[in-house]
Amino acid sequence: MKRKGFYRLLAAGGLAGMAAGLMLLRACPEGAARTAFYLMVGLGSGVFGHGAGMLLSFRAVKNAPDAARQLEIERKDERNVMIGNAAKGKAFDLMSYLYGALVFVFGFMEIGLAPLLLLVAAYLFVHGYAVYWRVRLEKEM
Amino acid sequence: MKNRLEEIRKSRGIRQEELASALGVSRQTIGSLENGRYNPSILLAFKLARYFGMQIEEIFIYEEDEG
Repeated sequence: MKRKGFYRLLAAGGLAGMAAGLMLLRACPEGAARTAFYLMVGLGSGVFGHGAGMLLSFRAVKNAPDAARQLEIERKDERNVMIGNAAKGKAFDLMSYLYGALVFVFGFMEIGLAPLLLLVAAYLFVHGYAVYWRVRLEKEM
Repeated sequence: MKNRLEEIRKSRGIRQEELASALGVSRQTIGSLENGRYNPSILLAFKLARYFGMQIEEIFIYEEDEG
């Protein structure tokens, strides 16, 4: 029930963000702020979609406790969890190479120092986060 | 790691779905265990052993050169 409340809030917030973005776009036909309004519409619809999707899935399994239990088993199944984590690990490795190459390409394209440094900072942050989790898990396990 | 899971399950007339449901895992996990494609966690190995009323070593066969 607690989770249901959260997703209701998420769907309502997303819808509100989307509506506000659309209204602001109509009210402000020009200017750089329109990018932010478009972002509001995009993010709002994404958040609304996620929230509404979860609510619909709750409704779908409400009258089918067997299906709900099976879904829960599939979600918690140790092999499924292991497969999901291994897939995430593979994707992370690939992303590291792709992102690194992208930083180089942007560097050669001379996109400017500020965006380039931002990209490098984001790249290093993600790898720093991976090291943090490795150290933490080393201690915990 | 080899195991006798399929043999034990069939000898007791239990379907993969029933075993999976009793242990709280997916049917695919049982299938993968039986095919030897997946090695279970120690927790799942204990659950399986307890379910059949056996020792873990009676179900799973450890071979020295497995690493």
